[in-house]
Amino acid sequence: MDKVMSNKKIIALYILPALLFIIAIVYVPIILTGYYGLHKWNGIGAMEFIGLENYAALLKDQTFWSSAWHSLLLAIFSTLSLVIYLVVALVLSSRIKGSNLLRKIYLIPMLLSSVAIAQLWLKIYHPTNGILNSFLASLGITNTPEWLANPDVVLYALFIPILWQYAGFYILIYYAALKNIPKSLEEAATIDGANAFQIAYKIKLPLAMEVVKVTIVLALVGSLKYFDLIYVMTNGGPNGASEVMASYMYRIAFKSYDFGYGSAVGFFLLIICLVVTWIVRKLTANKDQTQYS
Amino acid sequence: MQRTVPIDNKKIGNTSKGMRKLGYLLLYLVLAAVAAFQIFPLVWLLLFSLKNNQEVFNLPPLALPSSPKWENYSKVWNAGNIDVYFFNSVWITIVSTVLTILVASLVTFAITRMKWKGSSFVLGLFMVAMMIPVHSTLIPLFNMFSKLNLINHPLSLIASYVAFNMPITIMILLGFYYALPKEVEEAAVIDGCSVNKIFFRITLPMTSSVLATTGIINMIYNWNEFIFVNTFINSDQYKTLTVGVQNFIGQYTTDWGAIGATLMISILPILIAFIFLSDKIVEGIAAGSVKG
Amino acid sequence: MFKNKKMLVLLTLCFTLLVAGCGKNAGTNQESDVGNSSNSGDKITINFMHLWPEGVSAGQNKIVNEIINEYQTEHTNVTIKTEVLDNEQYKNKLKVLSASKQLPDVGVTWAAGFMQPYVEGGLFAQVDDLLTGSLNDKFVAGTTEAYALEGHTYALPLEFNIAPIYYNKAIFADNNLQVPTTYEEFKNIVKVLNEKGIAPIALGNKDRWTGSLWYMYLADRIAGQDVLANAIQGAETFKNEGLTKAAQEVQALVDANAFNKGFNGLSNEEAKSEFLNEKAAMYLMGTWELPNFTTNTEISQEFKDKVGFFKFPTVEGGKGNIDSWVGGPGVGLFVSENSKVKEEAKAFVEYFVQKWGERSVTGAGVIPATKVDTASIELPQLYTDLFNEMNKASSVTLFADVQMPANAAEIHLNQIQALFGKTVTPEKFSELHDSALSSQ
Repeated sequence: MDKVMSNKKIIALYILPALLFIIAIVYVPIILTGYYGLHKWNGIGAMEFIGLENYAALLKDQTFWSSAWHSLLLAIFSTLSLVIYLVVALVLSSRIKGSNLLRKIYLIPMLLSSVAIAQLWLKIYHPTNGILNSFLASLGITNTPEWLANPDVVLYALFIPILWQYAGFYILIYYAALKNIPKSLEEAATIDGANAFQIAYKIKLPLAMEVVKVTIVLALVGSLKYFDLIYVMTNGGPNGASEVMASYMYRIAFKSYDFGYGSAVGFFLLIICLVVTWIVRKLTANKDQTQYS
Repeated sequence: MQRTVPIDNKKIGNTSKGMRKLGYLLLYLVLAAVAAFQIFPLVWLLLFSLKNNQEVFNLPPLALPSSPKWENYSKVWNAGNIDVYFFNSVWITIVSTVLTILVASLVTFAITRMKWKGSSFVLGLFMVAMMIPVHSTLIPLFNMFSKLNLINHPLSLIASYVAFNMPITIMILLGFYYALPKEVEEAAVIDGCSVNKIFFRITLPMTSSVLATTGIINMIYNWNEFIFVNTFINSDQYKTLTVGVQNFIGQYTTDWGAIGATLMISILPILIAFIFLSDKIVEGIAAGSVKG
Repeated sequence: MFKNKKMLVLLTLCFTLLVAGCGKNAGTNQESDVGNSSNSGDKITINFMHLWPEGVSAGQNKIVNEIINEYQTEHTNVTIKTEVLDNEQYKNKLKVLSASKQLPDVGVTWAAGFMQPYVEGGLFAQVDDLLTGSLNDKFVAGTTEAYALEGHTYALPLEFNIAPIYYNKAIFADNNLQVPTTYEEFKNIVKVLNEKGIAPIALGNKDRWTGSLWYMYLADRIAGQDVLANAIQGAETFKNEGLTKAAQEVQALVDANAFNKGFNGLSNEEAKSEFLNEKAAMYLMGTWELPNFTTNTEISQEFKDKVGFFKFPTVEGGKGNIDSWVGGPGVGLFVSENSKVKEEAKAFVEYFVQKWGERSVTGAGVIPATKVDTASIELPQLYTDLFNEMNKASSVTLFADVQMPANAAEIHLNQIQALFGKTVTPEKFSELHDSALSSQ
């Protein structure tokens, strides 16, 4: 058995296509980006090697760190909301009528492009005509918040559509994972007298844990490098109040023509994501890694 | 699991049943509310795709159009090339998705089932690749593609989509592959099956439900992808819907009816594909659960 | 089921290969599409990238295609291939192309600070010779200067704009308001409209340059045109008393509720709709907006008849006069220095600018940078009036974010948003500008 499963030729054949793609299209460019980060370059003219100067400037860059903080906040919110998605998936995967239809409905926002979602939520948040403020006004509230103009509120106002965009995605993954748990286990537990909560907590959850860990990493990293809605809805404004790292990087490279520095920011963002992932894996790693050998 | 002290079931029988019913009702309400919240955008989109600008800006968002302006749709479909963009979006999405799933399955299979030293390293390689912000690879990629004469060629898009979707596809597949019992495969090996046979005839079908899941995820990403198309593709011949949509959203004028119609057109195929595939998921799961 | 799957996979692979095969031929043919057209014999191809998509800028798009067709008819050996993108995409694409030195033969650019890195990178060809040919003395004063660096011109402007304050005559009449000539009168108008619950000014400051217009006019009227111009160049400090006072006045306007609710998070488009829907009475914007108030059939004639304009009022004790405008050249055409068909491209540009100047007003409502003979064409009243204003303008100061180099421009725009959002003090505002411009 081992001999078949360690056939080097087959292994090479199986991993080669994927490796080729990932190295050529992801790794080589990112190395180049790291390289560009060591230069002073406006993207047009000549590049001037300046070593780690960009990174030194980065460490002192207030705007960057405030954007990093915003990214972190988003990451925290996203990860916490995973709990909600898990609960929803748990409910859906049990014998509930119409779970099929509900599942499909939950996924709908995921089908929309960021452009569509941005336009929709811009309308929802519109200060006078938006559904939100219209509703609040009808309740008698006179000074309705300016959701996207108020720097104290704007970041949180943006979190809602971002989370809403991805809710269905995580619910789907959890649902599939939970559905994969053999019914026999559930039936045995019910015979033993366990109620729904106990089944969920003690049986389903542990078995889906591997997938949950995957989604934690996905949510964290995805939030750290998130770009789309922030850029389209507020452009990081007002004055950086909703800036995140990826939008900051884009602004520097493509608006301020500082491609050297922008590359440094991009590369640094990568490092941050790596560190965060490593930390998370260390924290959630458990003895059952050996289970899969 | 501890046995609880036997309670007089008859006594609590009626009230617990009532509680259960109330619980269910609440649950349904909450789920329904969430569903309404999720479906609201589509309704709104449909509504404003049938309005003209004045109605969009003046009337409240959920107001019905005075008369549905279907001409928004015909204007959008006829006005330059939407059908070309549509076609491009369709085939590029499908090709990229199938390719990604296939290649990712091969790798995941090799990592989880085959025995070799570098497996965790290679896996780590893919996980790290997931962190890479797309925008910082734009210029190096463009340089590379133009040296290969692949600028304004759909291959540049397909290659990019496959590469960037690979990590997440692998991650999702990984979870399932780990949970998948190995007995069937091991039996096949004992029976003398080659690895290829095992992969194509046993493993792949067993993972059909997660393949459908990753298929959907890939399709959504590819269908809505924008920045690569914008950077790598010049001519109308190869442009996709997302860039085509942007052509209507300009600097000085925004024709909301046309935008709405375009967006509706761009969503429908994905919606249909999703409905079709999600049934397959149920099928796959049903088949799997009977087995396990 | 899986047998079908296998077929599907196989088919897809075949399809991919097929496409790759066919595509490869297309690919090699497209090789010439990126500015590397070969000079085989007499036939040449010029690659022209512009930002007037049909869906958005129908008028301009039509004119461009007409001119191209005419040129191709007159020069049968020339083929002109276009690539059309919308504004944001265009800027993005231009940047990416320039990084690999693959600019199209002819393209669109903005003046001054925008153009600077491209010129310094040697990407734009000099077009001084075109200024002495058939286009000699045809340009409005100041337009080509904005496209010149160190004594050479690097692009030919296609548009010229000034920014008046458009207002709704009906709303003014209903409230017994007159066109203001002084800033005190203006502030009174703001007060009256506020009491009536009408937003005095429509402003969409998410885009930031819109707020910059307000600041620039206040700076011009209070500190005087030369102080403002010098400060933007970095030759004068922003801590100048007049400029700081202008920043204070901006915040005073915000405090007086002069702008529509939530303006700092609304785009220019959304703000414009407030004006178009008569929710706001005034709108400070460039003359590129004129088609909406004159010829655009999608806007009711009833509303169009209500639109008038007035010049930004003078400030008591201020050094600016009422005929000083904020505005300047819009986009221009450049020729790529690395173009293989540079001379032919230049000839095309010269032809284009000329024809464009003849048609842009009537065809697209766009005021060209070349002088227009207003007597010979039939124009809506607003155009005629504004042309008159342009002719007697004492000065036209180019938009700050276009003049400044990209880095400083970003800081300026962000600070404008902060100023309007009252998250920065006028003093800090000036300080940040100084440090931004001095580090260039």
